[in-house]
Amino acid sequence: MTDFDAVLQSRGLSRYHGQGESLVRAVDEVDLDVPAGQTLAIMGPSGCGKSTLLHLLGGLERPTDGEVWLAGRRIDHLNERGLARMRRRSIGFVFQNFHLVEELSARENVELPALLAGRSSRAARRRAADLLERIGLGDRTRHLPWELSGGQRQRVAIARALANEPLVLLADEPTGNLDTAATIEVLRLFADLRAAGQTLVMVTHDERVASTADRLVSMHDGRFVGDTRLAGGTGRLGDLIGLDG
Amino acid sequence: MGPILLVFRLVLADVRRHPVQAGMLVVAITAATATLALGLSMHGATEKLYRQTREATAGPDVVALSPGTDRSTITALTSLEHAPGVVAHSGPYRQYYTKLTAHGSTGAAVVQVADMTPGPVDRPLVTSGGWVRPGGAVVERGFATAMHVEVGDRVTVAGRSLPVVGIAVTAARSVYPWALGIGPNGGPTDGGGVVWLAERDTRALVSPDVPVTSFINLKLEDPAAARTVSRHNPAIAPAFEGTWVSTRPWQGISGQNFVMLRDSQPILVVGSWLLSFLAIGGVATLAAGRAAKQTRRVGLLKAVGATPGLIAAVLLTEYLALALLADAVGLTIAHFTTPAIVNPSASLLTTTTGPSGDTIFLTTVVALGVAALTTIGPTLRALRTGTVSALADTAHRPRHRAWLNRVSALLPTSLLLGLRLIARRPGRAVLHGCNIATTLIVVSAMLMIHAQPVKGYPGSPMATHAQTAQARHLLLAVTAAVIALAIVNTVTITWAFAQEARPTMAIARTLGATPGQITAGLSAAQLLPALPSVIVGVPLGVQVFLLFNRGDAAMPPGWWLIAAGVASLLATAALTALPARAAARRSVAQTLSAEAP
Amino acid sequence: MQDAVLAMLAKEPSHGYRLRARLRQALGPLGESMNAGQVYVTLARLEKAGLVAAERSDGLPDRPDRKVYALTPAGQQRVSAWLSEVNWPKANLTEFHLKLAAAAAARLADPVELVDAQRRELLRRLGEAQRAVLAEPDDSTAGLLLEGVALRLQADLRWLDACERVWSKPKNESEDA
Repeated sequence: MTDFDAVLQSRGLSRYHGQGESLVRAVDEVDLDVPAGQTLAIMGPSGCGKSTLLHLLGGLERPTDGEVWLAGRRIDHLNERGLARMRRRSIGFVFQNFHLVEELSARENVELPALLAGRSSRAARRRAADLLERIGLGDRTRHLPWELSGGQRQRVAIARALANEPLVLLADEPTGNLDTAATIEVLRLFADLRAAGQTLVMVTHDERVASTADRLVSMHDGRFVGDTRLAGGTGRLGDLIGLDG
Repeated sequence: MGPILLVFRLVLADVRRHPVQAGMLVVAITAATATLALGLSMHGATEKLYRQTREATAGPDVVALSPGTDRSTITALTSLEHAPGVVAHSGPYRQYYTKLTAHGSTGAAVVQVADMTPGPVDRPLVTSGGWVRPGGAVVERGFATAMHVEVGDRVTVAGRSLPVVGIAVTAARSVYPWALGIGPNGGPTDGGGVVWLAERDTRALVSPDVPVTSFINLKLEDPAAARTVSRHNPAIAPAFEGTWVSTRPWQGISGQNFVMLRDSQPILVVGSWLLSFLAIGGVATLAAGRAAKQTRRVGLLKAVGATPGLIAAVLLTEYLALALLADAVGLTIAHFTTPAIVNPSASLLTTTTGPSGDTIFLTTVVALGVAALTTIGPTLRALRTGTVSALADTAHRPRHRAWLNRVSALLPTSLLLGLRLIARRPGRAVLHGCNIATTLIVVSAMLMIHAQPVKGYPGSPMATHAQTAQARHLLLAVTAAVIALAIVNTVTITWAFAQEARPTMAIARTLGATPGQITAGLSAAQLLPALPSVIVGVPLGVQVFLLFNRGDAAMPPGWWLIAAGVASLLATAALTALPARAAARRSVAQTLSAEAP
Repeated sequence: MQDAVLAMLAKEPSHGYRLRARLRQALGPLGESMNAGQVYVTLARLEKAGLVAAERSDGLPDRPDRKVYALTPAGQQRVSAWLSEVNWPKANLTEFHLKLAAAAAARLADPVELVDAQRRELLRRLGEAQRAVLAEPDDSTAGLLLEGVALRLQADLRWLDACERVWSKPKNESEDA
């Protein structure tokens, strides 16, 4: 369990709801290793437990059984405060519904994690400005979330998730509420992050989003049913459009 | 039939889904209607009780008292039997001004010589035990209550120990402690109660040291003319040339009763204003808290083709039905507590007949008004919002508030979030502040009243006690009601706030805020509007007291008032921490997924 | 068509008319338009290529519909090569569909696994197309073509999901029996 290549690991990770007849195995004995720098996509039909798995990995929910290790440290048995600190420092969350704080401007939203982590307001502000510039929203810092488009809101949410330079970015259906153009905005951002070595785990039901990952695991009824490495293309882009007849 | 069924089904479903909200609504309106009904009943209630007692005891229309027991006095009183308009009489009787000792405490008493069978006028109603017999005393009920005397106890009158054989009420005298009528020398004397003894048992009282008065009870053809029977009436005056007479019409006896409640009525009147205000505040908070949800619900109903009329019916029916329920509960409470509150002492019969039609009408209007006023706004807004934007629930978009942003940037992050959330609904913060200010007005007024020196009846501490206890118990009851309602309101407000803050706080937790930070932030944010309320509420309470106080007022120690302010702040903090803590403990994942469209 | 006919024969040697019936069953309403001649022409070509061998039934006239066709070893090789093939040059849905039907009927391979292999391949291609899309600036005409490719692949992948759902149910394994 001290395999430091894997920044995020789970062993026998399970989350059950209900009891007896109505027992639901939302996540059922999942073993997962995410090496540093990998972009992992988790796909599966709705209700297969992929969101629950993501919540378990990020410490938003507690497992019924099993272990979660983040950077060689076991996190599943931390108390609420410990989990909060862990999330603050090491995890960045991105959600389908953006979940920006409606009352705060774009910049203030991005500042939040840094402020919560106890950084000075000046440092938080500088970091937020950098990140917003990086996601191409340097001119929207004072806008409130409802004044931004869906794609812009999700980019702000991603910038916020990155504020404390997390070890792992966890994204739950990050493009689920976005149209094609906005999806491309977000995927381009993910591609940049991937190039910069950011570890990213995302749950999606969109094949186009999943296909950009290094690796794709399929989930069904709480279990992994497939694990595909996608990285390293065939280099035969021409095949795709049938140029070779 | 179809639409009515649909309306009822939707209303029932909503109440079943939000039982706590429905309960709070009922509690708030109940408190207001109950206090209002009490305040209304108070007006003329003592008079009503007196009338009842008068009917039940064949109360006299006029009591005429003259000092001494001389033949001339008796002759003069007897001449009244033939005065114009007099149709019946009892007496003349004697009464001795003495003291009564029971259970070691002594109080002023007037001992009346009683017939074994009372005459046609003034037949005291025995409420327990039996009527006077030789060797057995009957004590007037208000007096007995103040002295803690019951049938079977022994009392000492003029050095003789006698068993109490009965407790009775009479309409011939004002309530305890004003039963004496006139003093031994013709002037008024307060602070005593009535004891009836057989003639034989009063012989020991015949002594130059014990003042004595004679009196006669008269019944008139026209009771309304009772005031005309007086020394100034030329038909009566000649008989009393050699002596002195005090005539007490029944209206005067009745009027004296209300003196007991003089301190109590402002308490109830002001109390019911404040309680109504709190009720409106609480209901408004509930209604506003649900407005967003209602808007969405209206959108859904519109989308499936409901007409605006039906939608308004659904929204209003629920609140009006709950208001009517609360009205009924409030009137019932008032019905059962009225006798205890409006009865100045136990001296009157308390078989009330329930709230009058006027009271029922007025409280119903108020209850429905509170419900309608506070729901019509959200209802209209919900109806006016377009179906699509209602479904999307785009109402209540936050605004840019530059000054707030500058100020809150200096605060800890969780407090910053709390403040921004509060700023989103400033109306609620104002309500919250008013709620606390109102409570403090009542609490500091209560402290002021407690700080006043007790004005008593010399020689009769239990009489003094009876009057101050009356006012203070009432004040305590009103204060308790206000505090209870304020707590309900604070919980409502903070609960609504915590509900709204939930998603934001869940987001903060995904970003690494601890439950403790969340609780502290939410709670501290709500203490801010409470602070100015405390600063304003305490002096206002003192002012309200001074407004109703006659004469000089004593100030309570300053630390009492400061302690009240601090206590209310601490209580608010505790009350706000509860829902905040509950919100902080809720699963983040659940909260966020519940937010998903 | 040739590969599909070959795979259909992998279960057992068969008369031409029975082969046609199986194809029509597998294709459902889409098979209505398939005439008998098409199957026999295909069989004749396969026979000529040495991939199938025809045996005439005893005592019957020498007519194609009376012959029993069987795979030759070369034919069997061709079938297994086809099954493991994941090319998707023109998204030939009919061919893949028949491949699954034939594989299930002859128990040559698990259709679900065939779907899975195909999906991996398509995902790889989609990833390539998608990355190319991301690399193109907005409003690029080349990006438009790539977008079309990506959308088509996405549609194919969704269809494969549907294939998996249906073929992973046990009843389909014995449908042809």
